[in-house]
Amino acid sequence: MRVLRPMVVSSCCLLANMVAFTANAEPLRDVIDARIAAGWKSNGVTPAERSTDAEFLRRVSLDVLGIVPTYDEAVAFLDDTDPDKRAKLIDRLLEHPRYAVHQADVWDMVYFGRNPPGYGTDKREGFQNWLAEQFRSNTPYNVWAGKILRAEGNTVEQGAPMFFVQFKRRPEDAIEAVTQKFLGVQLQCARCHDHPFEEWTQLEFYGMAAYYTRLRVVDVGKKNKLTAFAIGEMNRGEVLFTGPVSEQELGKKGTPVKPKFLGGEPFVEPELPEGFEEPRNFPSGKVPPAPKTSRKNALADWVTAADNPYFAKAAANRIWAQFMGKGIVQPVDNLADANPPSHPELLKQLTASLVENEFDLKQFMREILNSKSYQLSSSGPVTDAMPLLYQRARYRPLSAEELLESWMTASGYNDTLKASGKELEGRFRPRGITWDYVRRFFGRPNDGVGNFQGGLHEHLYLNNGQIHQLISKQKGSLYDTVFKSEQPWGKRVERMYLQLLSRRPPPPETEKFVAHLSSDDDPQGRLHEAIWTLMTCSEFRFNH
Amino acid sequence: MQGSCPRHEHVSRRSLLKGTLATASGATVLNWGGLFQSQAIAEAAKRKKKHCILLWLNGGCSQFETFDMKIGRNTGGVFRDISTNLPGARVCELMPSISQRMDKLTVIRSMRTSQIDHPGGIYLMHTGYARAANVRFPEMGAIIAKYCGSPEADLPDFVKISSQGNAGAGFLGPRYQPFSLGRDGNLPPFSTSQLTPEKESRRHRLRDFIEEQFARTHKADPARMHREAYDRARRLQNVRHVFDTDDEWAKYGDKYGNTKFGRRCMIARRLVEEGVSFVEVGQSGYDTHADNFTGHKSLVPTMDRAWSALLDDLEERGLLQDTLVVWMGEIGRTPRINNRSGRDHYVRSWSTALAGCGVKGGLVYGESDKDGIDVKDNPVTEGDFFGTIYKALGVDPEIENYSGVRPVPLAPFGHKVVTDILA
Repeated sequence: MRVLRPMVVSSCCLLANMVAFTANAEPLRDVIDARIAAGWKSNGVTPAERSTDAEFLRRVSLDVLGIVPTYDEAVAFLDDTDPDKRAKLIDRLLEHPRYAVHQADVWDMVYFGRNPPGYGTDKREGFQNWLAEQFRSNTPYNVWAGKILRAEGNTVEQGAPMFFVQFKRRPEDAIEAVTQKFLGVQLQCARCHDHPFEEWTQLEFYGMAAYYTRLRVVDVGKKNKLTAFAIGEMNRGEVLFTGPVSEQELGKKGTPVKPKFLGGEPFVEPELPEGFEEPRNFPSGKVPPAPKTSRKNALADWVTAADNPYFAKAAANRIWAQFMGKGIVQPVDNLADANPPSHPELLKQLTASLVENEFDLKQFMREILNSKSYQLSSSGPVTDAMPLLYQRARYRPLSAEELLESWMTASGYNDTLKASGKELEGRFRPRGITWDYVRRFFGRPNDGVGNFQGGLHEHLYLNNGQIHQLISKQKGSLYDTVFKSEQPWGKRVERMYLQLLSRRPPPPETEKFVAHLSSDDDPQGRLHEAIWTLMTCSEFRFNH
Repeated sequence: MQGSCPRHEHVSRRSLLKGTLATASGATVLNWGGLFQSQAIAEAAKRKKKHCILLWLNGGCSQFETFDMKIGRNTGGVFRDISTNLPGARVCELMPSISQRMDKLTVIRSMRTSQIDHPGGIYLMHTGYARAANVRFPEMGAIIAKYCGSPEADLPDFVKISSQGNAGAGFLGPRYQPFSLGRDGNLPPFSTSQLTPEKESRRHRLRDFIEEQFARTHKADPARMHREAYDRARRLQNVRHVFDTDDEWAKYGDKYGNTKFGRRCMIARRLVEEGVSFVEVGQSGYDTHADNFTGHKSLVPTMDRAWSALLDDLEERGLLQDTLVVWMGEIGRTPRINNRSGRDHYVRSWSTALAGCGVKGGLVYGESDKDGIDVKDNPVTEGDFFGTIYKALGVDPEIENYSGVRPVPLAPFGHKVVTDILA
């Protein structure tokens, strides 16, 4: 159980081996397919067919841009006869302005979750915009991850310090989050007691918490009408260790614990000059001065170092899971020995490739998206949402952001804005929709380890809630387009399918919808409910 | 109510007579989708239904200001104790009503648990397990819904009224997610269909068709769960009246103390009467790091009155013997009173209580030492406590469910059911 510890020492040579292993080798996409196919073979598993063009188009648009394709995009792609059209589409999507927006949404959720602790974290456009900028400029991941951990500047103008704001005065929570999100190492068990089955002891936990015990959240005044915070660091202050909580002693203060890198060396700090004094706290309104020695920055360097045995691996595994459903280590934020990878060689190669390409996330994504493994169909008899051996595409519930923006696209709401020359009042503020409700009903579609948990509540919103507001009679809406069309019903149903599900309906579906829509009894109600049906069905709810 | 079937099943039957529809496959369904399966209903009626109500004291109620008073000790605090209808047992003066119902309670004064902060404690005392990296443990409510609920009922089987805990159904899946009512016990927004039943049915038939088409080729679980949840959202329309409690509150408000918490307790009784397996009712504000005594003085009497009324009401209706009422928060409070007259978090020795289904009543189990610092005898861990609750409800705590490929027993491995308190 304790074998992990010497890894930091030996990781330089480990990494050298990994790089040598892939140098001049085949493209990563082929490595992926070979490893995945080997898994099928050794387990006697038959994979699904290749996805249809329609399936692929919807999947990759949602994964890269967080939004379903428009009607025009669907028709153009489906009718394109270029044999290379998938690779070309992937290239186009990765350069699309929405790429950065959506990837920032994904990582913002990684860092904050749906309901982060207060102190202004609910208004974190500064952080979100900064994050989007990192994706827009394709800044290497280790560089921007390091910026989050160094937390320089303020939360409004620079953005990055917001990550630590959520852990105000809670160094234990901060270190739990940093190890879990940046390294895939979970320390929370070690917080209250030595865990019998995990690697880490309680003392090691507090040795890591010591890096953040001197952090303070300082209000540095209003910027752009928002309160800006900076992260200050005191020169003194130690974390106290009191032993297991169920053995809690009354009035016992605990012993101070010095900072020590997880599985590594203690952090050596120069002594403070004799007679050094500092105020008990940083005054508001002033930028806090840098400490003589920054424990926070020392940890940032240690975390993002190329020879940290977890950093690159955790990122490779997380991005793999973002597109493939299940991490090679699942859940993605627990790279413990007791939680082995399903495809260990593949994980090594993905990690090596990420390091070799200097943490270029876009290039990494491009390889995954171009693999045959990513492009499998989602149909077939396997019931797992995320099949163990990746024998068919995974099912992923759309996030609240993806759902609302996809509804706005598919219902033609965005086209009604264009037709009337109006603009959205905010990214998630179409008329008649309350973003807070969408967030409340769809904001946590899975349980944190990838399993769908949407229950009865979300259907109350779907069945009885506000999405009807998007099915409007405004010029440009899908409803209006179909209602006013003079084409035969079959053609109109095809239009609805292309716009809502990015595919053409097979004959039984066309027949059913034509029969439903062409009745003289309440034609408007029928059209409305037909659009509603395609906006709320399972096929729409999931990316598959 | 004893021996007859719950009222909501009658409603379903009435709806069936009122208007049935034929689906494409020829099966008969209710206008709001409740599947009529006489066999399943017969089976459910045969099974003796048990229920559980959890009174959740969020923030961690003090054992010293309720059941484990330390009169005359430095740790004792400011309140006096009073005698009860259980010879030898004394409780805090803030609980005059409960003092006269001690014959119904089993108090455990020897809880010893492992999570001391709120998020960890709330998770632990809802699931019986500490948070883990790989496994999402289900809450007690989801487990009881699964093993005591009737799958065909129109009412949700796990209801929360203004309470805490976000573990939900965990690996049991969306089928057992809690249905959360508002602070006053009202239905959540969008619970009411705006369509006439005829139009809703027409819409439903089209939706059903498209789902069926998709399900032919796509067998993944999430799509199935999505269909099932849709079905339950429709069936909720059959039973909306159950949540309209104004009339009953006008009648029983006084009895429950005319408080919000009291009303939640009354709604819990009503839901149990209607067949719901698990209802959790929350009362917040117990995290008294400062002014512990004023805090408890404002909270405990409300709770005392509502809890007592709930026990009486259940008993009068013959429901108490099949309904387990659990009383707990996520942590206890420190023996030491801090310099802000507060008590901090403490899990080395604290108290919980049970009443009704499967437990003896009139029993004080376990004891803390003279200052309430440590458990003197019969320590009860979270695992023991959860195992005992499941056992009292007739559910074997050793039953295993799977989280992925890993079998997980209902109560954690190594727990001991406290048989001394079981009836």
